[in-house]
Amino acid sequence: MTSDGLLIERHGPVGWLIFDRPDAANAADAAMLGALESAWAELDADPHVRVIVNTGNGGSFQTGLDVVQLASDRDALREQSRRTRDAELRLTAWHCGVATPVIAAVNGLCAGGGLHFVADADIVIAASDAQFLDPHVSVGQVTAYEAIALTRKMPFEAVMRMALLGRHERMSAARAYELGMVSEVVDPPERLREVAQELAERIARNSPAAMAASKRALWRALELGLTDACRAGAVDLVSMWGHPDQEEGPRAFAEKREPRWTVGGTDA
Amino acid sequence: MNTQYSTLVVERNGPVGWLINDRPEQLNAMNNEMRDEFADAWLELEADRQVRVIVHTGNGRAFQTGVDVTEIASDGVGMERYRQSLEDFDLHFTAWHQEVTKPVITAVNGLCAGGGFHWVADADIVIAASDAQFFDPHVSVGQVVALEAIGLLRKMPFEAVMRMALLGRHERMSAARAHELGMVSEVVDPPERLREVAQELGERIARNSPAAMAASKRALWRALELGLTDACSAGAVDLVSMWGHPDQEEGPRAFAEKREPRWTVAD
Repeated sequence: MTSDGLLIERHGPVGWLIFDRPDAANAADAAMLGALESAWAELDADPHVRVIVNTGNGGSFQTGLDVVQLASDRDALREQSRRTRDAELRLTAWHCGVATPVIAAVNGLCAGGGLHFVADADIVIAASDAQFLDPHVSVGQVTAYEAIALTRKMPFEAVMRMALLGRHERMSAARAYELGMVSEVVDPPERLREVAQELAERIARNSPAAMAASKRALWRALELGLTDACRAGAVDLVSMWGHPDQEEGPRAFAEKREPRWTVGGTDA
Repeated sequence: MNTQYSTLVVERNGPVGWLINDRPEQLNAMNNEMRDEFADAWLELEADRQVRVIVHTGNGRAFQTGVDVTEIASDGVGMERYRQSLEDFDLHFTAWHQEVTKPVITAVNGLCAGGGFHWVADADIVIAASDAQFFDPHVSVGQVVALEAIGLLRKMPFEAVMRMALLGRHERMSAARAHELGMVSEVVDPPERLREVAQELGERIARNSPAAMAASKRALWRALELGLTDACSAGAVDLVSMWGHPDQEEGPRAFAEKREPRWTVAD
């Protein structure tokens, strides 16, 4: 529990990172921007947290930088401007090198910089009334990072259309599902957190070490050509050989019981 | 004539060569012998001038379910051999590994799990029976997902691939969803018609210029290796490479004469 616009909760094996500035549509002010990096690090370092769900309180998921607040906090604005210019953002799980699987559960409006958290998540689900838009160009700003990541992960045309339409069009959760930007639409929307928790618990039944190596291999593949990505991925693959989970997994399956995975050198 | 394999069936039907996984009792999981036979079977069909298109499918209720870990881990040499081939990325069991230049259709006849995705990721075209199901159980048994998923995520939305990788055996993707996502381009219902539809699709593709298809295939797969501008520059070389080829005169002539083209197939 923090007062910087973020909530951290734990429910069983699932860590929750919740945007909590509902009156500001969860726009990121200086405090939230400063708190994100340590929030991700806290959850990633917690051995009891096997999966992280990222969502928002209120009617919005995330709507990007709170430009009004930042304009009144010159030091914070200068620091975020520098990080943006130097590509040193520390907002998302990807920026922060999080090894734990991350589910974005889009609970409502996702606008502009909010798309960072969609683009940089491993899995994205959305409430049926969620909406996506990127208003940057409607206020004279450039769309770059969020959209670049999205173009690697879904059909390009849809991303470019969002970038060029700005605030003059919104994408529905249904269309996001069709395009593969999200893999599940939750209806009624009130069930979003329940579904996210249940999805995360299913993922938490898998080997943490194997998931971390798989996640590393798949994200790295966005950096390289196909053959180079496969070569690098083969190293990740072989890196698990000899890990106790590789004996425990088949044994548990044969004995029809849940596996007892090894986390950080000890039985979990 | 058709070479005899013990884990695969290789057949010819008109211009279509068929490569059929044939370990139905093991859900077509790949043991050491099958891995070696794949390497030979792809090259056999690639070298056959009568074969214009290759269809890859499976006998039984599964298409392919990955490596037969039981056998590879228990025969003494299998695992070490497998490790070495991975570390060197010296693999020979898919058409992509074997640099097959002919169009390859994967026809997913049922369960496709784990390593089975190698042949989905590495095919040119993928169709599926309506009751086909896809999932990747690697992380549920402490294994890493890498090569198959890396191939897939270049070819379809990333999130769906990552979801399959992280859900493991705790979720299956339907053929219908695979179709929506563009992982497969056609769902065949009833499922019993899969081979008939694959043969017909293969025959339609076989009406096109083999040389032009080979160069196009080369250009498009290479594009997965490079940035956009570099891929276009390299593709331009493929494009121009066909200029002066007899098919480029035969194609328009046959069209004007309302007859099937007689393509030139290199020796």
